Amino acid sequence: MIQPDEALPVEPTAPTLGQRLRSPAGRLATRIAGVFLVITAALVVFSFWWPDATLPRMASTTEAAVRNTVLIFSLAAAPVMGLVWGIAYFSLRHWRFGGDLPPEDGPPIRTNNKVVISWLLVSSGLTAFLLIWGLAELTATTAAASTQTPLVVNVTGQQWLWSFSYPQDGGVSSHQLILPLGRPVLFEVTSTDVIHSFWLPEMGIKIDANPAVTTEVGTTPTLLGTFNVRCAELCGLNHAYMATTATVMTSSRFDSWIQSHGGVVGQNATSGGSNG
Amino acid sequence: MAETTLVRPATAPTPPKGLMTRLNMWTGLAVGVLFAVIAYAIVKVIWGPDPQGSDQEVITAEVAWVVGFLIGVGAFVGPWRWLLGGDLTEEEAAFLSGKDAGIARYFRFTTDHKVVGVQYLVMAMTTFGVGGILALMIRTDLITPGSKLFGPQTYNSLVGVHGIVMIVSTIIMVVGPWGNFVMPIMIGARDMAFPRLNALSFWLLFPAVPVILSIGVLGGIPTGWVAYAPLSDQAPPGMDAFAVAIILFVMSSAVAAVNVIVTAVTMRARGMTWSRTPVFVLGVVAGSLLGLIALPCFQVGMLFTLLDRSMFASFFVPAQGGSQWLYANLFWLMGHPEVYVILIPGVGAVLEMAPVFSRKPLFGSRLVLVGFVGIVSLSLIVWAHHMFVSGWSPTLNGPFMLTTELISIPTGLIFLALIGTIWRGNIWLRLPMLFIYGFIWNFMIGGVTGIYLSDVPADNELHGALFVTAHFHYTLLGGAMIGAMGALVYWFPKMTGRMLDERLGTIAFWTVMIGFNVTFLAMFDSGLRGMPRRVATYQPEFATSNLITTLGSYVIAVGMLLFLYAIVRSWRVGATAGPNPWHGKTLEWFVPSPPPLENFEVLPVVTGDPYGYGEPDTRHTSMAAASLASDDHLYLPMEEDLP
Repeated sequence: MIQPDEALPVEPTAPTLGQRLRSPAGRLATRIAGVFLVITAALVVFSFWWPDATLPRMASTTEAAVRNTVLIFSLAAAPVMGLVWGIAYFSLRHWRFGGDLPPEDGPPIRTNNKVVISWLLVSSGLTAFLLIWGLAELTATTAAASTQTPLVVNVTGQQWLWSFSYPQDGGVSSHQLILPLGRPVLFEVTSTDVIHSFWLPEMGIKIDANPAVTTEVGTTPTLLGTFNVRCAELCGLNHAYMATTATVMTSSRFDSWIQSHGGVVGQNATSGGSNG
Repeated sequence: MAETTLVRPATAPTPPKGLMTRLNMWTGLAVGVLFAVIAYAIVKVIWGPDPQGSDQEVITAEVAWVVGFLIGVGAFVGPWRWLLGGDLTEEEAAFLSGKDAGIARYFRFTTDHKVVGVQYLVMAMTTFGVGGILALMIRTDLITPGSKLFGPQTYNSLVGVHGIVMIVSTIIMVVGPWGNFVMPIMIGARDMAFPRLNALSFWLLFPAVPVILSIGVLGGIPTGWVAYAPLSDQAPPGMDAFAVAIILFVMSSAVAAVNVIVTAVTMRARGMTWSRTPVFVLGVVAGSLLGLIALPCFQVGMLFTLLDRSMFASFFVPAQGGSQWLYANLFWLMGHPEVYVILIPGVGAVLEMAPVFSRKPLFGSRLVLVGFVGIVSLSLIVWAHHMFVSGWSPTLNGPFMLTTELISIPTGLIFLALIGTIWRGNIWLRLPMLFIYGFIWNFMIGGVTGIYLSDVPADNELHGALFVTAHFHYTLLGGAMIGAMGALVYWFPKMTGRMLDERLGTIAFWTVMIGFNVTFLAMFDSGLRGMPRRVATYQPEFATSNLITTLGSYVIAVGMLLFLYAIVRSWRVGATAGPNPWHGKTLEWFVPSPPPLENFEVLPVVTGDPYGYGEPDTRHTSMAAASLASDDHLYLPMEEDLP
């Protein structure tokens, strides 16, 4: 549990507290605080390393929100894990009797109101923090998708293929997703058969493709390149193969891509358009 | 006032004769198969060739199998006798309880709660074995990105059947064996409130197992165990078998839950107020109550699915005006409470063991009750966090995020009770205690990873990815199942009269723990990198973490086989346990191991809670210990102590 090579923060022993800390209870508290700090410090280091090391490349504004949330929640969890694991480790190390029944019972502590009330306050506070953070992020991502005039992309899932069309640009359609850099995009997602789930891992967005209804999700691409489009809801035989690519290109290259596929930039598709 | 002393007939009873004495599991299997064949033939003739598939025949045959099995095993002997104007004689009731029947009582409709407990234990270990083999097949198929041991159709079915077999196993793994075997003794009762219903709950579950396995020969299921519509509507007849099995399982668990709740409410020993009731009993009651409320939603969902498939109803088919979101809501109305149905009894067992091996009172026992009530209540209103990305009512995402995150407060109370009990305890590091430490390690990881999923923006990335799979394996396997394995070690001496081999068990514990953490930490990594769940193949970027996960799963398998070997070996040749090997204070440790039929000669009277470690004045019961040799709780029996 303990990472020996982590920098071990030393418990500050203020001289005025010296007397108290040298008492048996004070020494116990000091040692447990040491274990707690070591584990917490290790977890804090881990929290900073973890999201960047594992999450996909950050290619949109929404993925940035995901990454921040993972970091913040990891930091919030670190002291809780440090406390629980710390006490568990300490009990194994210092309060343990081997194979034999301990000669006498432990102290009959039934409860401790101070501990209980502090525990409740801290856990409620953490929960409130998580909730406020989550609601703020949720509001921010929803607002970002709705304030500007976005590029609308119609996404259709079917067993086992994704199709995309651009109703604002003459109804161009494609099986690869092409997006312009830096422009808000709104995906209107539906399905022709069963439930699929439209997932852009690098952009941190996901929404189910449902038969008979249209669902929406929005983001703004922030990185040029080619990314993954996957299906995240088991949709039958070839679910694992229901994937394609999303390419983010500059606005001008996007416009020429539209034109080369027979569309007109900015012209709404009519009923006669080549809507696929 | 209830009789407290067991009255036995003076003369030796004559064993009953007649058909009922010849019914057992084998006659059940025979009658069940016969019924299924006849029903299949009849429907085939009446319905004729059906272009839409053979759903009607399959459903009818599966249901007939169940009815035939129940008749054949003797489940209706009592009701039948009653219908004809009579009732079972005392000898026949004794026969049903398995009196003097030896090993045969485990293979027939036996009402003794201890027999049912053993039956459930063997059943749970068997289904865990089946689910584990399926898991190994899944992991072997995924060992490299290019490996294709099975086609996608077989792979998808493996995933679905692994899911449902493991869900059933984990739901029954604590309440089945220990809720039946130990709980009545713990509360000072001679049996469950409804012994025949108890036997019925087991024998309703038993025929569901062949029904689940028949999915394999009926074309499989493409849906996973969630059985989402409308994919379930286009699935092969394996889907019908799945639905019938669920309907049966929910019936079985409802019967069991009612029995557990009524037993715990009405049959506690004199003096056993709720605050003196062992925490394990509270956990079993809370879990059963939650299951009784939640699981029927799945049953309704499956019934409607069957009607959609066989009778062209259109509950969940959008093309005909149905709604796939209606199904998803029904499913998750069951699905989220269900994880707590699995977890709470396991937590109850862990909290029951912690004071024994810390030699300290349970810390904040009232907090535990508040925690259980909080979890049970909140878990009923969090279901739609499974639907954050479904598109169904985005307006509700905020409120469901709130309820979901609130659950961490009562769950925190459970952790506080556990850590507070261990705090400054005199830790007796026997094998069950080792499992408690395993629980603390794993469940902490499982719980913390849950908060990422409760957050809507993070869930947009992580939903449907292997991160979720790793998360719930940490809570349900790393938490609940490790706790249940500890409970098995703890109550094994009571059930068998023998100690579980501690050396073998310790090796098994470490093997399982290491294998488990390797497997599922690597699976978190796959999920964070963007690998979806339930895929038969994956891109090369996930190769390393998948290889580690697969190798880890083999280590778990080795550990589990060792654990099984330890159980089987100890059951046959383990050291004799005596009535109270752990120096526990709950009532089951006051009766011999294994306990006799009807447990108590004289019903005990309870005078305090069972956690009076370090408190010479707190005594759980005035009952004399079964071993007259050395226990310091030897004290005057019974009635005189009544307030």
